[in-house]
Amino acid sequence: MAKGIYKKTFMAPLGKDNPVFVQILGICSTLAVTNRLDNTLVMSLGVIFTLALSSFTISIMRSWIPSRIRMMVETMVIATFVIIVDITLKAFYPEMWKSLGPYVGLIITNCIVMGRIEAFALQNKPSLSLVDGIASGIGYAYVLLIIAFVRELMGTGTLFGFTILGDWWTSWAIMIMPPGGFFMLAIFIWIAKEAFMKEATS
Amino acid sequence: MSDMLFPLAVFFAAAFTNNILLTNYLGMCSFLSVSKEIETSAGLGIAVTFVMAVTTALNWVVYHLVLLPFGLEYLRFIVFIIVIAAFVQLIEMVIERYSEGLYFALGIFLPLITVNCAILGASLFMVIREYSFMTTFFFGIGSGLGWFLAIMAMAGIRQKLKTAKVPAGLEGPGIALIIAGFMAMAFMGFSGMIAIG
Amino acid sequence: MNKDGFYALRIHPIVFMGIVTIVCVSILSALYLSTQDRVEANELFFLRRSVLDAAGITHDGTVDAVQSLYETSVTETDGKYRIDGNEDSPVTVVERTGPGLWGPITVMIGFSSPQVLSGISIVSQNETPGLGARIEEPWFTAQFAGKTGPFLLVEEGTSDASNEVDAITGATRTSRYFRDIVNSVVSDGPSIYGGQ
Repeated sequence: MAKGIYKKTFMAPLGKDNPVFVQILGICSTLAVTNRLDNTLVMSLGVIFTLALSSFTISIMRSWIPSRIRMMVETMVIATFVIIVDITLKAFYPEMWKSLGPYVGLIITNCIVMGRIEAFALQNKPSLSLVDGIASGIGYAYVLLIIAFVRELMGTGTLFGFTILGDWWTSWAIMIMPPGGFFMLAIFIWIAKEAFMKEATS
Repeated sequence: MSDMLFPLAVFFAAAFTNNILLTNYLGMCSFLSVSKEIETSAGLGIAVTFVMAVTTALNWVVYHLVLLPFGLEYLRFIVFIIVIAAFVQLIEMVIERYSEGLYFALGIFLPLITVNCAILGASLFMVIREYSFMTTFFFGIGSGLGWFLAIMAMAGIRQKLKTAKVPAGLEGPGIALIIAGFMAMAFMGFSGMIAIG
Repeated sequence: MNKDGFYALRIHPIVFMGIVTIVCVSILSALYLSTQDRVEANELFFLRRSVLDAAGITHDGTVDAVQSLYETSVTETDGKYRIDGNEDSPVTVVERTGPGLWGPITVMIGFSSPQVLSGISIVSQNETPGLGARIEEPWFTAQFAGKTGPFLLVEEGTSDASNEVDAITGATRTSRYFRDIVNSVVSDGPSIYGGQ
């Protein structure tokens, strides 16, 4: 039984409770960098790290936090982890830090982080919250990685900066421009919803 | 471009060609969930414009007069979000006390604003792009108005869409994102208008 | 303890928030101070690499190689970097900051003669990732090497004459700002290169 609940907690955000295409949460900060796969990967790891550890921390503190200042404490904890990501990137991966610009900081206002803490971590024990955080992060990351994969491949003919498609490929400039992100996400949601709807009716 | 015109160019770019919502995807969550109704969109849009204009200017002052002189710029994320949260709280208390009508019109949106990425985003962009105070001020207003414009346009289109037949899988957020994509393309068309550059 | 008492309602939240704040800020400060040296080393490395790139000196991009190459070949005098090295003509590299579409762009520009560039490298920029930020990509900066200014922008993939460079598709305005910065430095070329 105890094992089952961990597995269930882990699997839900990957499919039927996916934060991106079911709940449409938290696309703000990361969609902007999905025109390159490497930026998306680093941002996704940042989100997973922040989400998992702030869920864990808040869950440990959950019985001591005065309810009136709950949001303030949550924001503080989230911001702390985001700054840890920012400082680490700046010191060890400065090139990546430069190309992500302000988007690392925007993880703070990513609705998923606050959303999972409010909806899950405040009611559940730390280990379960950690699992939920990691799983929600992964559920979020894989959607964005797929979007980034298509956008970078079609937009510039490269993946992770390496040329994949040869000279014959005419880059679709629209894919790396902002509208490309909207269209890709919409198409992804469409496909995912159709797939899950079939599953539900069969 | 002369220095006098630079803030105006930034204002125009922030509102149209590089609309914070349509090119940087900031503030998407509330954009998608609120844009179903025109009135609520207008309320949220006004609240966002106002809070964004004031908090970007406030954060500029805090960043340049407090954080930089003391070498604390690495704490800027925390400080900015606290400034925003405190300001929103303050506004909420003020309008609750003095204007009941305004409180019912805008009050429910204020808590949504603290976690609106666009507000924090504007403050972070202002730092990273090294704007002067004047430019920051225009940038804040421009970004806010751009957001307001985008959500109003979206709400208008979505109201018409209620009678349209949309594929089941695209209903709701899916079709809204496709519309946002077309709006982003349309707004990019404004870039030809900035001839003063 | 009385749950609705003055302490529980007023003092406790403030004390709690204070403790959380102190803990968070101390962790961050410790992390910041411990990485400070690395950050400074990175910045120095980026600066030196930009100078070498602008001078057209090839290197393998590792920290040690950049440092030793820089120390053997570059001399710095009043804001200009002179590379006498193994080339026929000495190279002068200057740093210049100018307005971009979104914020300042800082570039290193190398001259191998008063009009001919040895190369260009970007020190910092704030343009849109994936669009304007592509001015940092090697193909864009490399096209200035060996060419004669002032420059004209042409459509991406069509540059041909010795004063033409490709603009970036989807980032026309950033390309224009960038061209203006480079051209303003090129117009100072004779005094930069000649005034040794």
